[in-house]
Amino acid sequence: MLPGAISGYRCFQLVYVGIFFVALIGLNVLTGHSGQISLGHGAWMAVGAYTTAIVVSHTGVHELWTIPLAGLVAGVAGYVFGFPALRLEGVYLALATFAVAIALPSLAKRFPDLTGGGTGISLDQPKAPFGLPLSPTHWLYALTWTIAVVLFAGSWFLLRGRFGRTLRAVRDSEVAAASIGIDAAAYKRLAFGISAFHGGVAGALMAIAIAYVNPDTFPPTLSILLLTGAVVGGLGSVVGPLVGALFVEFVPLWAQDVSKDAPSVVYGLILVIVMLVAPAGVVDLARRIGTFVANRLTLRPERSSEQTPSLKEAS
Amino acid sequence: MNARKLVLVFALLGLALCTTTTAATGTPGVTAKSITIGGTFPFSGPASLYAGIGAGAAAYYQYVNDHGGVNGRKIDYIALDDGYNPAQTVQLTHRLVEQERVFAVVGSLGTEPNLATRPYLNEQKVPQILVATGASVWGTEYKRYPWTIGWQPNYIAEGYIYGRFIVDKVPQAKIGILFQNDAYGHDYIDGLKSGLGVQQRKIVAQEGYEVTASDVASQVAKLKASGANTFFVAATPTFAVQAVALAYKLGWHPTIFMNSVAATNTLMGLAAKSSSPDAVDGMISVRYWMDPSEPKFAKAGSIDLYKSVLAKYAPKANPNDAFNAYGMAQAWTFVYALKQAGKNPTRAGLMKALLHMDTKDNPFLLPGMRLFTTPSDHFPLNQAVLIRYRDGSFRPFGHLLTYPRAKR
Repeated sequence: MLPGAISGYRCFQLVYVGIFFVALIGLNVLTGHSGQISLGHGAWMAVGAYTTAIVVSHTGVHELWTIPLAGLVAGVAGYVFGFPALRLEGVYLALATFAVAIALPSLAKRFPDLTGGGTGISLDQPKAPFGLPLSPTHWLYALTWTIAVVLFAGSWFLLRGRFGRTLRAVRDSEVAAASIGIDAAAYKRLAFGISAFHGGVAGALMAIAIAYVNPDTFPPTLSILLLTGAVVGGLGSVVGPLVGALFVEFVPLWAQDVSKDAPSVVYGLILVIVMLVAPAGVVDLARRIGTFVANRLTLRPERSSEQTPSLKEAS
Repeated sequence: MNARKLVLVFALLGLALCTTTTAATGTPGVTAKSITIGGTFPFSGPASLYAGIGAGAAAYYQYVNDHGGVNGRKIDYIALDDGYNPAQTVQLTHRLVEQERVFAVVGSLGTEPNLATRPYLNEQKVPQILVATGASVWGTEYKRYPWTIGWQPNYIAEGYIYGRFIVDKVPQAKIGILFQNDAYGHDYIDGLKSGLGVQQRKIVAQEGYEVTASDVASQVAKLKASGANTFFVAATPTFAVQAVALAYKLGWHPTIFMNSVAATNTLMGLAAKSSSPDAVDGMISVRYWMDPSEPKFAKAGSIDLYKSVLAKYAPKANPNDAFNAYGMAQAWTFVYALKQAGKNPTRAGLMKALLHMDTKDNPFLLPGMRLFTTPSDHFPLNQAVLIRYRDGSFRPFGHLLTYPRAKR
């Protein structure tokens, strides 16, 4: 234990990291494994957040129970969105998803009786349920990371099995996949639904953590930031979303601390450098460094001893 | 590599670190030599137009520090960029309270960002003061949120002032209202009706628009058709500029009352450019703080003080941006209240001082303007002067008008 090593605020930031982690697990399924670019992931977070906020404020149900519901509502919305959207490909699909990111927050202003309009919905401050002896921040932390770890394990099993292989087959060649009897469109829609489900859960957690939801909470820039995080972490990598979540949470704030006048310049520079050094994501870079170091330090002396028997075999 | 293990290790490590807490002693943010305060502002994003408020306040605190501080303490002011996103505001406010350990959150900008942080700050008993928004809730809901107080005249007060003026000076008025269909727009209408009193039938038409609308053409056409000769615009800048230009193009030439939210020389210059200078000429609005480009708006010496502070401590700021002056007026108010809170200020003491303000000395407000509060009156500013647009700029006319305390 390091007393005072981490302030309540740092802990609160780890809550945000957990939320972005959940969102990026979903985005990674869609963009990393099924190869579809989404610039609208923040919109599914908004759907989840509004689901939680509306249900809690109108029915008084404990916010905890709204989390699966928020995921489901967003997941179904994402799956349905997949029907028209998947007629589009590549950059056109990306634009269609971006349109959702722009339109959805404005849509929320349309129904003020339900959504509170531009003023939004305030919820009660987060508090540990069942009399658990946790401070609000610790409770949020435990909640977020429990869900994150469960969903992470879920996606890990899902993607290493048949489903993941099929998605990747569709991503790498739709024609080849179709020729062996895979319904490519169905799998892509499913990927959209799963991705939106994770977005919805992340949104519900966000609504609970900040105890407030309004259209400005989910600006289009959030969707761009999430895609950036997914790419920086490493598309298709299993640990990529975690690295991406750390990036999404810390780099913009850090850029602000470095330069008050031009945080976006600092942020852009960091992004350019990361992409130059690690074009396939930070996780891939770490793997390459790991291999390089291993080759240098451990494998080389072994290689000669390895080669000797093989040479013997050859001769 | 076993990825699951990695995440579990990370989570457990985080939890272990998170369970350590630090105990605070004394009043947070106050040492023998300094007082730490902070606020959140949209230095980036869609509302970055208002960034000058944070910059002006920061410059004024530095000026105060170079002149001995307050009771020997320097003011350490931390202004953070929330991009007008409540998720960021909440996170950064946690940072101000839990990491920077601020004494108070001062002057944070925007209705929604402040609504998002209000329950948290009140639960933590951290003063959330002089918030930069004109919503009326900051002054009305003080029983539920005793650690929160606003500053600027609210939209109801402004609407009331227009109503009174119309009763006194425009007896033949037939009023058409364009309003944003949310709490802000309705605040203005409530205020106008209250000012009109028994003459509310002067309102012949009111047309609302949604924030999501692309334009207000149909609303303006309906208002023209209603036969109104007075046009009250309770709209945010983009729609306000559109409405003025459209009315002119439709051949409608009413007397225009423009809400202060959109009444700047720059914006109305835009409206004039997209239609005709005649569209804007004679428009009426209100102002409550000093306009650096208009000496008639200022107390003697105030503009010089403003310009020298800005030149020395924020050399990159545009001195013609009136929001810098707003920030200084706000910062002056905090310094005043802090002095009143005594040699060893506490958070409760600061709130008490803020509820016993009575001064006309704020150099960055209009001459004669009074900062006044009592434990049952949580609206520090309730006065404004009427201004009229002529030849490219707003000029004040008449004297300072007051929103009566009984109405609050």
